[in-house]
Amino acid sequence: MMVDIEIEIDGKVVHGYPGESLISIADRQGIDIPRFCYHKKLSVAANCRMCLVDIEGNPTPQPACSTLSSAGMKVHTNNEKAKTAQKAVMEFLLINHPLDCPICDQGGECELQDVAMEYGSDISRFTEGKRIVDDKGIGALIQTDMTRCIHCTRCVRFGAEVAGIVEMGATGRGEDLKIEPFLSEGIQSELSGNMIDVCPVGALTSKPFRYEVRSWQMNSIQTIARHDLVGSNIFTQTHKNKVKRVVARDNESINETWISDRDRFSYQGLNSENRVLIPKIKVKGEWKDASWSDALDFATNGIKKNAKEGSQFGTLASKNATLEELFLLQKFTRGLGSDNLDYRLDTSNPFNAKVLESNISLTELETIDHALIVNSYLRLEQPMINHRIRKATLNGASVSTINAKAFNFNYRISQSVLTSPQNTVATLSGVLKALLDKSSQTLPGYLNSVTIDQTHIDIANALSNAKHPVVVLGEHVNGNKCSDQVAQLVANIAKASEAKTLNASLTGNAHSAERVNFKPDNGKNALQILSSDLTAFILFDIYPNFDCIESKNAIEHLSRDDAFVVVMNSFDDESVLSFANVILPIASFYETSGTHINVDNIAQSYSASVKSAGESKPGWKVIKVLADLLNLEGFDFTDSSQIADEALSLSPSFSEIEVPISNSEMPNVATVWQYTPYASDVVVRHASSLQQTRIGQMSEASVCKATAKLLKLSEGDLYNGIPVNINESVAEGCVFVHTHLPRQLGVI
Amino acid sequence: MIKKIKKIIKDFGLSEIRAGMKITGKQLTNDKITVQFPEERTPISPRFRGLLALRRYPNGEERCIACKLCEAVCPANAITIESEMRDDGTRRTTQYDIDLFKCIYCGFCEEACPVDAIVGTHIFDYAFETREGSIIDKEGLMEIGDKHEKAISKARQEDSKYR
Repeated sequence: MMVDIEIEIDGKVVHGYPGESLISIADRQGIDIPRFCYHKKLSVAANCRMCLVDIEGNPTPQPACSTLSSAGMKVHTNNEKAKTAQKAVMEFLLINHPLDCPICDQGGECELQDVAMEYGSDISRFTEGKRIVDDKGIGALIQTDMTRCIHCTRCVRFGAEVAGIVEMGATGRGEDLKIEPFLSEGIQSELSGNMIDVCPVGALTSKPFRYEVRSWQMNSIQTIARHDLVGSNIFTQTHKNKVKRVVARDNESINETWISDRDRFSYQGLNSENRVLIPKIKVKGEWKDASWSDALDFATNGIKKNAKEGSQFGTLASKNATLEELFLLQKFTRGLGSDNLDYRLDTSNPFNAKVLESNISLTELETIDHALIVNSYLRLEQPMINHRIRKATLNGASVSTINAKAFNFNYRISQSVLTSPQNTVATLSGVLKALLDKSSQTLPGYLNSVTIDQTHIDIANALSNAKHPVVVLGEHVNGNKCSDQVAQLVANIAKASEAKTLNASLTGNAHSAERVNFKPDNGKNALQILSSDLTAFILFDIYPNFDCIESKNAIEHLSRDDAFVVVMNSFDDESVLSFANVILPIASFYETSGTHINVDNIAQSYSASVKSAGESKPGWKVIKVLADLLNLEGFDFTDSSQIADEALSLSPSFSEIEVPISNSEMPNVATVWQYTPYASDVVVRHASSLQQTRIGQMSEASVCKATAKLLKLSEGDLYNGIPVNINESVAEGCVFVHTHLPRQLGVI
Repeated sequence: MIKKIKKIIKDFGLSEIRAGMKITGKQLTNDKITVQFPEERTPISPRFRGLLALRRYPNGEERCIACKLCEAVCPANAITIESEMRDDGTRRTTQYDIDLFKCIYCGFCEEACPVDAIVGTHIFDYAFETREGSIIDKEGLMEIGDKHEKAISKARQEDSKYR
């Protein structure tokens, strides 16, 4: 603990730490010092000079952001000398700032506007010409009006320090100084939207939000983003029952002050034309709009008729559903006497044992000194988790990866091992063997035949030399037939190196699904449900051509004549229309109350920000009414918080089984099918601006030369509908598909 | 007693009628002040706040930039605005409605407007026949503005030296 010192600000005795900046002490005490370039999460630039304060004994006013406190300092923030200095700076800042507040989207929430009200002069003494700066487009998410820029360089520092990609910079000097992107392609970062939040003026504003509503017209509602494992805290800003904008909400232990672009711009999907607004039933092959009561009767009658025994009934739910929805659905399914339920649709090997737990908190991630990332492009898949690891690397942590492709991380990777899915078990076994060799422990039988090479030893050394290592397992493992063995080996590696683990393979609200045990104990899992002779199904917010791993088989299977499929969806989808018998429209993100459990096992509940679109109803209410109509017991809920209370009181017991490691037969070439982060769930897939970004448009099947030859592919060919890109950054024997297009594969 | 006698003299001397006739006589020769509304109208101050109108620039471009300051300042919540980006990239309204039942003719909207788009005209005699007629939309407001632009700009001109 650092020593406390006493200083005096405006005659008030306050406490701070030696070396702490004056502005941060003042902020803690609620003493207002105007500022533009200072941001608590960014480095100090001291270039706006707005925070000048008078320090006794100092001939000139000093900037409070870069002046460090020392014991006995006497600071005046609003005496004559400080005020004169601040007013003079304000006048300089306003020299070139245009007076276009009426058409500026920042108007009403602008730091410059607020400070000018207090420190600005009524009349400008500047008669020369004002500076005008050309705008270069910087992509589909951020609108620039660089004439308004006051050169605080917050966006530049954000790019360099937080996003980890230096995309904006200052060029020119003096009058010609411009803040602009270095490349004409615009901003690529997955965190770029935060530049809008840090910009104190209207130079960077949200493009999808442009000219829509003024800041004072909107209601800000506290809620949680549901796209990833973090559950970033956000405000949805609504106007006339529509979400108009999403901005970050501070929560130091979860998302600090940042949110990913996916969380920020996905709200656009809610207003998509593809929303299902009215219940529909299929009568004699024709779709008809129906009233809620007719549709619910149709659904219950169908379930009663087609699932005379519970075991003929199966339920599949999205991993992005709320805790309440998942809890009621599993209660509903088990109430019908069925144990066929699952949420792991993109997993080719849905195993039941809990092999790999996450046992590191987000804040702890910053303190690690080595991270081993297995099967993940963490930067795009879990941007906020990646951000914490990046922070650790800035403090000297090293990172090694075992991936099918060499990804473009925003920190340096010290060891990168390229491994195809079929070789992942062998590679991890090698690392484990090297680790155990190093500490001369006895080897389990399955490691005897494993050969180790230098890369395995390097990674093992990095792990064993680290004091606080972490092993991260990511999403790409889901398509692997041996995913249980991979998870087991990751757990064993973590145990052998005393590392913490972070399981990022099941994302969204998967922790809620685990909490309510939304998977079969003895019944059928997702793959079995979609291949056996069940006759009645409930699909909750599922779009099989995107979400199911064997999408073609799944759709064929659900299209059988004897299958009765009740679909609860918030979006229309042609393939769903082809097999469903009844569609019940449910509320989407921000339209329903619910609970998200994040990777730290923190349950965050939120209320609905807007009313659900059209006639759609919150999912939990629909399930409750269906259960009532089928006379199931235990659905006497009137509020989603009652459901959450009951669901959170559960503590499911997991069978901790050691998965045997075997050298199972694998195909010569395996495919890793990974969606771009902007195709990871249905809402974000309909967010038009995100789809226009470089990350959103990404669609390529990367393959190395040798494998391409084996598969007789050449550059530009289509591999399952995805253009082939031949490059050597991919492991041999592997096609790495990164796309926003639906799966067209029967089996991958 | 003396009071009574004075009153009798006053009453029989028709003093009050004479006083009244004196005024009548004076007014007989004066200019008349009765105005035959609506054929004749009284003069109006340039600051008069009557029916609201939306103006255009001389080149025909609408002035309003959808800043919504009038909507924000309106104490009666009589103004409703929806905005969008027009194809040429400028900020424009798609809807600009004023509910004349709510409007209290305070003129705050005119004071708030940074581009002199919404203005009070000198029209104060108007009526509508349906309940919905109380809401004038953007088109209606522009029409009023176009029709009375001369009078509106003259009034602004006259008032400008006091601003």
